[in-house]
Amino acid sequence: MSEGLKQALDLSLFWEYRLVLLQGLLFNVLVFLCAAALALCVGLGAALLRVNRRFPARCLGTLHVELFRNAPDYIMLDWVHFVLPLIIGMVIRRRVEFHPFASAVIALGCVYSGYFAETFRAGIEAIPRGNIDAGRAFGMPERTILRRITLPQVVRRMLPEALNQFVSLFKATTIVSLIAVPDLMYNVSMVTQQEMRPLPLYTGAALAYFLIIFVFASGVRAFTERWRRKIGA
Amino acid sequence: MGNWQRLVWNQRDALLAGLGVTVEVCAIAFLAAVIGGLGLCLVRIHVAPLRWMSVVLIEFFRDTPIFVQLMWVSYVWPEVFGFPGSFFTAGWLALALQSSGYLAETFRAGIEGVPRGQREAAFSAGMSPTQTFRRIVAPQVALASAPSIVNQFTVIVKSSTLISVITVPDLMSQSQRLVNIWYEPIEILTATAAIYILVVFLVSLIGKSLADRLRRRYGLAAS
Repeated sequence: MSEGLKQALDLSLFWEYRLVLLQGLLFNVLVFLCAAALALCVGLGAALLRVNRRFPARCLGTLHVELFRNAPDYIMLDWVHFVLPLIIGMVIRRRVEFHPFASAVIALGCVYSGYFAETFRAGIEAIPRGNIDAGRAFGMPERTILRRITLPQVVRRMLPEALNQFVSLFKATTIVSLIAVPDLMYNVSMVTQQEMRPLPLYTGAALAYFLIIFVFASGVRAFTERWRRKIGA
Repeated sequence: MGNWQRLVWNQRDALLAGLGVTVEVCAIAFLAAVIGGLGLCLVRIHVAPLRWMSVVLIEFFRDTPIFVQLMWVSYVWPEVFGFPGSFFTAGWLALALQSSGYLAETFRAGIEGVPRGQREAAFSAGMSPTQTFRRIVAPQVALASAPSIVNQFTVIVKSSTLISVITVPDLMSQSQRLVNIWYEPIEILTATAAIYILVVFLVSLIGKSLADRLRRRYGLAAS
């Protein structure tokens, strides 16, 4: 056991491959940024559908949220990567293939848009009705009301919750290695196959992710507390 | 429709067997996570010398991605600690570890939410600390954290798709095996996704209504 422990904690191998591994981490960050942007846009759209006055629009929004919130990330990733291109190909009658990076962004973006939609909706519904009516009474067009009255309040309210979801999204980016996006985990398994020494590499990867996410998550927690006190919610 | 029958309906035995493994892993992981979470939380609150250790463990379990933890537990632990002996054990263990971190924090919030006066009242009525915990604190914690516990169970089901990576024959891995036989992913992967979405949807629906009923029955407003 102590031999194994010594090997697991001997991180010199991890250090030796630091450039490859850092490159992998860069891909994690890239997937995270793109998927987060997609999730925010789609999530906002779905939330607006859910608070729409028309019934079919509300149904569509609810369907979106229930579908993506209940779908496991990994099956969505596989589905977007292997099935979606075939379906699109059948429609436009041409061979389509997705780059793994694109599949990763679409899949994670869609799954997390379901969570963001709920957060947005809670924020929108917490706005007093009178605010919007007052905007209308001033003759503001709907779009201006959304931009100047609704969104600023929604953002203020949902910020802590949204930050937590960003942390979850970053954790979820580790699975993109399974469709061969060269992220940190992918490079770790490649190096493992070359060196045949999984102990220090997987331990190093676990520690690296832990450190990054711990710093990120602690920052979010500290910020959330201050923010809640500031806006008095 | 012929494809659906050939690729999905005719393979229902394999898919159902996979679903069975998924259910089994999730159930074991969930039970282990509740027990582990409760243990971590009680150590954190009541055992001062070991407090730092449980804090480190909770943070480590919560802040490491489940996929990384899964690989770590299944490839590093056997060499270092001598267990888990099989990938099946590694699978539920990794799922349980992560969730126990989250549940520990949920339970802690629940315990700290019980007013101090109630505990003092129980002591002055002559209850021992164990009795106080069992009769006064635990029921309130269970009620307060019921929604989060249900939520954590759905997280376990969703994360359990990843155990297919370490060759546990769950639903995900059965469907990938079928895809690799015929290279016709559309029907199988769509059906698998639908099954997972339905299962998670039902679990959260039933769990939520159970939690709400419990809370209403014992005088807490439904969330």
